[in-house]
Amino acid sequence: MMNAQPTRRLVQLALVAALGLGALSQARPALAQAARDPQAEQFVQTKAQRVIAVLADSKQSVAQKKATFHQAIDELADVPRITNFVLGKYARTVTPDQRQRFASAFRVYAENVYQNRIDDYHGETLRVTGSTVRKPGDVIVNTVISGGQVGQPVAVSWRVLGGGASWKVVDVQFKGVWLAITQQQDFVSTIDNAGGNVNVLISQLQRDAQRPVVARQ
Amino acid sequence: MVGVSPEQNSQVFSSETRPVRVARRPRLAAAALGLIAVGGLASIASSARAQDAEPVPTVAAPPSPATPPDQDLTDQDPTVQDPLHGFNRASYGFSMGLDRVLIGPIAHGYMKVTPTPVRHRVSSVVYNLGEPSTALNDVLQGRPKRAGVTTSRFLINSTVGLLGLFDVAAKWGLPSHDGDFGQTFGRYGVKPGPYLYVPVIGPLNFRDGVGRALDFATDPVGIAGGGYTTTFGATRLAVGTVDTRANADNAFRALDDATDPYVTVRSAYGQHRAALVREATGKTQDLPDFDDVPSSDPAPASAKTTPSATQ
Repeated sequence: MMNAQPTRRLVQLALVAALGLGALSQARPALAQAARDPQAEQFVQTKAQRVIAVLADSKQSVAQKKATFHQAIDELADVPRITNFVLGKYARTVTPDQRQRFASAFRVYAENVYQNRIDDYHGETLRVTGSTVRKPGDVIVNTVISGGQVGQPVAVSWRVLGGGASWKVVDVQFKGVWLAITQQQDFVSTIDNAGGNVNVLISQLQRDAQRPVVARQ
Repeated sequence: MVGVSPEQNSQVFSSETRPVRVARRPRLAAAALGLIAVGGLASIASSARAQDAEPVPTVAAPPSPATPPDQDLTDQDPTVQDPLHGFNRASYGFSMGLDRVLIGPIAHGYMKVTPTPVRHRVSSVVYNLGEPSTALNDVLQGRPKRAGVTTSRFLINSTVGLLGLFDVAAKWGLPSHDGDFGQTFGRYGVKPGPYLYVPVIGPLNFRDGVGRALDFATDPVGIAGGGYTTTFGATRLAVGTVDTRANADNAFRALDDATDPYVTVRSAYGQHRAALVREATGKTQDLPDFDDVPSSDPAPASAKTTPSATQ
């Protein structure tokens, strides 16, 4: 569709441009980064990769995966803290009984969400690219997940709280969207729409957990 | 924190961002959308203004312990401005219904007959045709280096990458980035304004709605291709729409898990757009402390006193 001469020149031009820009972009990482936290980075590298590996492990049966996943989540995430967070303003007003019922319903719901999607994971690898210390003990660790089912490498950030060798993930961000924050909006709106009744949300989560897995198209 | 896998999430975004450049409607529709957006802006400007008094969540500031808890909630959900929620919810319901009976089945059929690697190549071609529009916005944002990257990407991928089938440029150290008029407006300080769910087109806010209309009107590839009446234009529109929906399929499935899917989409969209604008302004996100629970309770009833609906 194009004759050879202009095409070749276009390629040459592109190559020159690419090389020049490549050189420019090489210079960039030299810029000093804000404070990093190597321990938090190490934590995410190890534990988050483990969760991904569990999901991707084709040698394990689905039942085995579920059990390992349950355990891996506890090592990775601060489940009680997240449970409190996703209740938003209602975290202040729930009764101890509601809190406890919500916690178990949420846990089952959250694990189901992932387990229903186990097929979506196949051998992705996670690589830490840096971190930003928001304040001591509150770090955003940046990673790139690639390979497997991911067409393009995906940038994923992990918010980890803790210190020293003890860290836990409280939120995960893809392309700007924090999952726990989004989940909080979802739940708070559901409770709002129920006139502030947390029990309505708990019932809905329990119902959803019993829903059969939807067949993939 | 759970709900979407990395892959799904990348697709949540595809579903929200790609239509900007992919699912291009005919000019007429673009113009109509622009009018709706602008007209809407004028009529609701006052109420929008009132809510704009709150700090924009995209803007970074050092984390301040003195931040009132109320603002934290706003910070966490940049799209909390939803004065049109009655219309928006209806529009969301209508669009999802249409997806169930028409657009979804078409996308599922496409997914059935084409293997994943083929679909990735299609997405790649569709994305490549959006690069000139991104480059235009890079320039408008006063970022020549990024414009150079985008232009190089387009030149390389259109030639060496065989008309965009392969993202060779990314392998050569020229990663892609998104850009559109909504982002450009954001870079110059335009606030998102009220949330808007446009039937079929999807989630927007007023800023990005106007931006979207401008994206349609100024798209270099669209103009060079002779609009949507040509074979190229019509094919691109159709393929782009199906590709976008197919890429978003996991996101659609993930929405089934949301207890309030409408709010989930609104929240994710708002956060995503805010992040895209931060990318253009170079500012970092001002996250509230994780354990700060908003103290104000505008909820209609106290949860303590309503133990009824439990099983």
